[in-house]
Amino acid sequence: MQNRGFPAFGLFLALLLVAVDGWARVKLITLPVRERVEIQLAHADATLVEEERVVPLVEGANQVDFSWSNTSIDPASILFRLVDDTAGVEARVLSVSYPPGENALVWDLWADRAGPARVRIGYRIGGLGKSYHYRATADVNESRLELGHYLRLENRANERFEDARIKVGFGEPLEREVGIAETKDLLLAEYRQVPITKRYTADLDEHGYLDAAEKKLRIPMHYVLKNDQAHGLGRAALPFGKARIFMEDGNGGVAFVGEDWGRFTPKDDEMALYLGVARDIVVRRTIERNDAKQINGNLYHYDVVVKYEIENFKERSVVLDIVEDVRRIRRDLGRENGRAIEWELGDQHTLGGLDDERSGLERLVFHQPLRPRPADGEAEKVVAMLHLRLKNEW
Amino acid sequence: MELTIYNSEDLTLVRERRSVGFRKGVNPLQFSWSGTLIDPTSVELSFGDAEGKLRVLDTTFPHDKPQMLYWNVAADEAVSATVEISYFTSGIHWSADYVAIADREESNLDLDGFVKIDNRSGEEYQQASVRLVVGEINLVQKIAELARIAPQQVNELKEEEFRQLRHRAARKAMAPAPMAMMELSAGDGVGMAQSQPKEVAKEGLGEYFIYTIEGRETIPDGWSKRLRSFQAKAAPMETVYRYRQPQYGDRLTRLYLLDNAKESNLGETPIPNGKVSILRRDDAGGLIYLAEQQIKYVPIGDELELELGENPEVIFELVPKRVYRDNIWMRMHKANIYKRVDDGHIQVDHRARVEGWDEHTLYEQRIRNYTDKPIRVEIRRAFDGDVTFKSDLKAKAHDYRTVEFEAEVDAGERAALEYQLIVANGYNAKQNRVEIVR
Repeated sequence: MQNRGFPAFGLFLALLLVAVDGWARVKLITLPVRERVEIQLAHADATLVEEERVVPLVEGANQVDFSWSNTSIDPASILFRLVDDTAGVEARVLSVSYPPGENALVWDLWADRAGPARVRIGYRIGGLGKSYHYRATADVNESRLELGHYLRLENRANERFEDARIKVGFGEPLEREVGIAETKDLLLAEYRQVPITKRYTADLDEHGYLDAAEKKLRIPMHYVLKNDQAHGLGRAALPFGKARIFMEDGNGGVAFVGEDWGRFTPKDDEMALYLGVARDIVVRRTIERNDAKQINGNLYHYDVVVKYEIENFKERSVVLDIVEDVRRIRRDLGRENGRAIEWELGDQHTLGGLDDERSGLERLVFHQPLRPRPADGEAEKVVAMLHLRLKNEW
Repeated sequence: MELTIYNSEDLTLVRERRSVGFRKGVNPLQFSWSGTLIDPTSVELSFGDAEGKLRVLDTTFPHDKPQMLYWNVAADEAVSATVEISYFTSGIHWSADYVAIADREESNLDLDGFVKIDNRSGEEYQQASVRLVVGEINLVQKIAELARIAPQQVNELKEEEFRQLRHRAARKAMAPAPMAMMELSAGDGVGMAQSQPKEVAKEGLGEYFIYTIEGRETIPDGWSKRLRSFQAKAAPMETVYRYRQPQYGDRLTRLYLLDNAKESNLGETPIPNGKVSILRRDDAGGLIYLAEQQIKYVPIGDELELELGENPEVIFELVPKRVYRDNIWMRMHKANIYKRVDDGHIQVDHRARVEGWDEHTLYEQRIRNYTDKPIRVEIRRAFDGDVTFKSDLKAKAHDYRTVEFEAEVDAGERAALEYQLIVANGYNAKQNRVEIVR
């Protein structure tokens, strides 16, 4: 590689004022100043950097030399654009040459007169990574959240970006300097008083037993945020990222209550953040009935009744989500046959309303409201039944 | 000097023309190619207009000087002639690549085509006129014709024989460049600055397309050079979303579609295979990177598809809502008798077995469009077996097992496309095809 007298890292844009003998590349060199730089992070995997420079051109042929080292620029991605507002100078790219064994390229330009030309050079760069994270603080009643949405930019690209305009694909660009090897946390959005629900879920298939011998289920708790405008969100999809969850302690302070991964949440979808296992809601699940009714030969209908005994020891009412996987029930009863499941609810069914939106063909979600425990009394034991008739099985 | 570079084979035909003065009698002419990838057996000498006055008496490859030959040329009289030396070399390649930049509204696309020439041949080609051959030259067929053998036997030829036939086939495939072109480029000499990007002239030649780069190029050994081959400004395009599992995988893919035709400011030439970088302008004139893909050769008049992958703002879910079975047939024990279960008075036979049934599944194809534009979604789904596709959707058969339907979803809206699939199983299955009914 030719020694151009530059430091051994970073990006260089050199202008070679050359009319002929372009291959020698040993001529007067100027370093056009980077006027601005944009870091475009909207793509899930690729980071595009576009920098704007003012290049003084001579009339006629010019060569602009662009080289880099210790920086992972994808050379095939390099784009050269002349910005339209170039003051009177009409310039165009004639060709691009790639010298052997160098991280460099040379643009052959032609200008109709001498003067400055504003150019934008874009490229995909490796090592300039991003992630997102959230800071959520719930109020004492756990009905609202203060939600901070942050971008974490990690600069391992070996390049300093001064006054970079950082774009993530939504909202206003952020202007910051990003130094070499720096990690920056940037507040992208702050959402105030976001209404949330606290969800308690009984789902044997996903969360298992708290006490298998007693058939008591593990009951995880989640804060559920709906990403829509009615809930103070819905500006854009919420990207995947870690959420740290805090809670106001009622004395002006906050307590850390846990963290969870928030999944990618499109508009109108829910983000559920796991808080831990509830101890004040006890759910015992047993299979009460398993009756076969022969239709003919090996063809049967089966009546299966799953019984839930539920106690709410909290002094406030809650809604318990009960989730059942019909295929798991059939498998647990030793009747898996690989066919799709034809089912209907039977006449012994008492469980709360079926959630159409969240239920699928085989995964059923019911909402069972639970009354609070009286301040000085015992928790009510609710008994609810899921009566499934599995039809035309063999 | 003229280079004809093939992109389907590592093969470049080089033609050099030189003015040589011959005296009457025998004239030795020396040609050497040290450190290059020239195939010595391919070197040929011809005399152009002086063909009748000059002839090659012999060609000698001296044993002590590799990569060199000399010709003894007999001249009937003293003559000054332009001789042409042609040979094949490897190590020079060309490839096409493209930059596509959509406008903010995604209704138009600026498409720039480039050709990049890589010279790894060991030789610097100065002031050469360059021709690029687009399309696969079917050398095997031509080699077979020259060798008078079946094409499948081409691989059995001896290496030397194969190489010679390959070169002859390549020469035959490409007509020599018209002299007019050589004259045109002669004025573009050293030191004359080019003020416009070079034109890349395109012409059809049989099954091939030739790109001729205007003027002359100097490409030193080890260097690459990239030139614009065409530019389509504001080509009108269409954005569609497609679900076609075999083509795009199990996801709804966004595509930009435009025709390689005059209406799109294209259509002058086929678009050779190459890599496309796809970007979009944002509100502030900056660029958003969308995707990069390899495109296949697009003939004139055909459609150019730029695949952008999934759009997280468009949610696409297939939700089965309900399953039921009917038309269940039992085979009675010890008899080749089949009875339908719901036919009423069939006796219970404990040893009868289910042999045939229809399975009905009700599906909802949900689409949520969170973009700020209406979208068009085209869906193709393939089914195996004896299947009836029942729906009020305007579905049509793409082939015997594939159903095609589409939907328009307004900005911010959602759609639920409902259909029922009835699969005849076991004894009931009589066909292997999809029937579409309303």
